[in-house]
This record gives sequence, structure tokens and C-alpha cells, in this order.
Amino acid sequence: MDNLLEVKNLKVEFELGAKAISAVNGVNLSIKSGEVVVLAGESGSGKTVTAMALTRILAPNARIKGGEIIFNGIDLLKSEERDLVKIRGKEIAYIFQEPTSFLNPVYAIGEQISEAIILHQGKSRKDALQEAAKLLESVKIKDPQRILESYPHQLSGGMNQRAFIAMSLACKPKLLIADEPTTSLDVTIETEILKLLMDLKRDFGFSLLFITHNLSIAKKIADRIYVMFRGEVVEEGTMQSIFVSPRHFHTRELIAAYEKIGKI
Amino acid sequence: MKNPYLITGVIIIGFLSLVAILAPFISPYDPAMIDQNSLLVGPSLKHLFGTDSLGRDLFSRIVYGSRISLSIGIIAVGISVSLGVFLGSLAGFYGKVIDTLIMRFVDIMLCFPTFFLILAVVAILEPSIFNIMIIIGLTSWMGSARLIRSEILSLKEREFIQAEKALGASNSRIIIRHLIPNAIGPVLVNATLGIAGAILLESGLSFLGLGVQPPVPSWGNILIESKATLGIAWWITVFPGFAILVTILGFYFIAEGLKKIIG
Repeated sequence: MDNLLEVKNLKVEFELGAKAISAVNGVNLSIKSGEVVVLAGESGSGKTVTAMALTRILAPNARIKGGEIIFNGIDLLKSEERDLVKIRGKEIAYIFQEPTSFLNPVYAIGEQISEAIILHQGKSRKDALQEAAKLLESVKIKDPQRILESYPHQLSGGMNQRAFIAMSLACKPKLLIADEPTTSLDVTIETEILKLLMDLKRDFGFSLLFITHNLSIAKKIADRIYVMFRGEVVEEGTMQSIFVSPRHFHTRELIAAYEKIGKI
Repeated sequence: MKNPYLITGVIIIGFLSLVAILAPFISPYDPAMIDQNSLLVGPSLKHLFGTDSLGRDLFSRIVYGSRISLSIGIIAVGISVSLGVFLGSLAGFYGKVIDTLIMRFVDIMLCFPTFFLILAVVAILEPSIFNIMIIIGLTSWMGSARLIRSEILSLKEREFIQAEKALGASNSRIIIRHLIPNAIGPVLVNATLGIAGAILLESGLSFLGLGVQPPVPSWGNILIESKATLGIAWWITVFPGFAILVTILGFYFIAEGLKKIIG
């Protein structure tokens, strides 16, 4: 099977005053279509920066210093902004850590979901709202009409995350990047969201790049895993190979942390 | 009554707007009609606010004057807010050179003594109502620009803007649909104060004879005519002055009420 996404030697720096700080230093990774890949590592290891660099939505002071990001045969690092705008949200979609703060507080949920549909499919507002209601049903929300008219601050984190997932899936992306989507949610909701994501992956057929520091999540969902440490991928492999014979000490640390939680 | 300021303000301004719209039906006389037989008559049932030195009915003139004052206030501020929001959001969103250029331009504009700048421009151009609206608008946008810039500077770092970018929204869409609606609150408060300021400015200009030209009545130019007869006809000073006071108070109340809603 061909790679849907292939990242070669990606380097990202942040400019802080006159200094440049390296955040991602030569990352290689690949995702096949339909695959679930986990990007694991401690805070500050460059997971999120890598994910944001994929469609170049990094902060203005970030510089991509080199590498290639080949998506569907196109190098996104060589693409123009006006072409990237068509890929973001349509081909590659994101879900984030804090759903409530990633939703615009002045618009109702329905407006925000339909925005994605209007942007990429050129549908009318009325059609888009109908589509949004269907999407909300597909993320297992029972009363879509009420949620459509609600504002983010009126809903719980778990509900907002479902709405956000619905928004991300509005254009049936080929790749969904989930950046710690369950970290801010409690454990029961976390399980529900993970299950939902896996169900949706089966229905919609996207590839999933899942970012987490929690190996217990990784173990449940991942086909393959990359472990990042200080801006570099230090280990990669299938879930099993990593758990059975971890080579890098940071991988061992993550596994130890996971087992410690298990013992409590 | 959750927000007494806002309600009071809206009632006052609503009433004044009605007066302005219905001026031809409310005023008992033609505001420009000269009556040689009743010069400087005090307030009475025939002339509610009295008459001026040419025998024109003051009540009718103030009612018609409200049209000028309110429309100058609202249109001038409309121009200044549009310009300020446009330049301020560009500066805030794009930063760097664009920000520096726009904000230094704001500093330059703020350094000018606005009133004298307006006086000079009006003296060169013709002091028509239209010109006055535009000039007031073009010299009072700096406050809105600064406000919206500072709001956008902090808003653009927020997560939902990043999410919007990830969704494939273009920069202009992010600015118009997502940043400005979140940043507009303080600007609106500022704008209501700006309307009051613009009305005062027009009155000041008219008082100096460079505003709305007679015989068209504006509150400012009624006041200037009252100067000569101040000692013998108090009503020509008091009533237009009171009209200005009430209007500005109304807009201040609205601004205060809006502040409460936003804060």
C-alpha cells in the first residue's frame, strides 16, 4: 500500500528574539491510508509542532527549516498558501485538546460546522445546516437540533469535542490529526470519544494520526507508533514490538509510567 | 430593569430619532419663516421655545436641527469606525511592517490638534453638511483602530483562530468572520461616545461659523445667533444647549449600558 503521507527530515525552529530554538529536528514518519498511527512523547517533545507543520498552521514565529511533507504525491512545503487553504479541513482535518477553547465563542455550533461545509463544498447555508445535523447524528449526539443552536459555553467538554469531530469530518478528510483530543476530558468520556473515533474511522475511512503521551490509549488504537523525544523520532514500530522490546530509554519511561498507573 | 443605563439611553435617542424623522409633522412653523411681527418673543403657547431675532420659531428650528446633528453624528462615526476597524484589524492581524506603518500613521494623526485641522480643511473646502461629516469621520478613526488592533493582537493567538485556520479558512475570512465579531465590543462603546463627540464638534464648528451654514438650522448655529441677544433672550441659548446636552447624555448612557453588557 502507498503512503498517504510521508514526512522526510522535517525541521522546525522558533524565533525568539534573536535566538532560534529548534523544536523539531529531522523527523521522518509515514502514514498509509486507513492506518492509525500514534505519535507519542513527553510534553515539549515536538509532537504538536510536527502535527501543525503538516499543513503549515504554525505560529507566525515558527520557521520550517527543511524537509519534505508529501501528501497524496504533493509536497506541501512547496505549495502556495491558496492551495493549502483547499487542503486544510478538506483533505487533512484536525481535532484539538481543549474543544471548548478551539470553538469560536460568538457562533452557535451549527454555524461553525456549516462553515466547513460552505468553505469547501460551496453549499448554501440552509443545506449546510441540514448536513451539520446529520454529522451531529453520526457522532452520536441524540438531539442534534438543540446542539446546533447552542453556543460552545453552554455545552460540556465532551459534547463540544463531539461537535468538533463532526466539524472536522464535514468534508470527509483523508487524514484526521487528533492532537490529544481526550486529555481535557474525564476518563469515561475519554473512552466514549476513543470508541467514537474508531467507529468513525471505519465508516468514513480516514487515516488517523493520534498524538498522545498516554500509552494506554496508544495500546488500544494504534497500528504503529512513533516515539518522539526532544524534537526527534527516537523509536518507531508496531505497538507490540515497542511494548515487548523498547530500545530507547524514553520509550521505557513512557511504558513504565503506563504500568505504574496500571498498578495503582 | 437589568440595565437601566442602556434602557434610558435607548429611550432618549429613540425619542430624538423619532423627532428628527417626523420633523415636518412635529414643527408648527417653517424653520426658515421670518415673522416681522414677533421678534424675540419669549416662550409661550404660540411659540413653545420662543422666537429668535428674525422672528423664526425656535421650536421648529431645534426640531429640524436634530436632523442635522444626529445624522452628522451617526454618519461621521460610521465613517470613522469603518476606517478604524479596517486599518486596525490589518495592523493587528498582519503585524510587522504593516502594523508599524499603520500605527505610526495613527500616531501622526493623533498628534494633530484635530479641531484646528478640521477648521483649516473646512475653511479651504466649502463647509457643507456632507463635507463636515466626512472630515469628522476622517479625523476621528484612530481610537477605533487602536482598540481593534489591541483586541485582535490577543485574539489571533487564541485556539479557535488556529482551529479556523486548520479548517481551511483564508486570512480575510478569519479577520472578517472570526476576529472582528469577537473584537468589536469595545469599539462599539467607543463609537457611541464618538457620536456624542461628533455632535459636539459640529456644534463647535457651527458656533465658529464654519459648520452648517444658515439658514439651515443646526443646534450649533442656533447657539451662535443667540450670542448677540444673550442678555435679553435667554431661551435662544438655553433650548439648543439643552438639546445638545440631552442627546450627548443619551449616547453616554448607551455607551455605559453597552460597557456593562460587554464587561
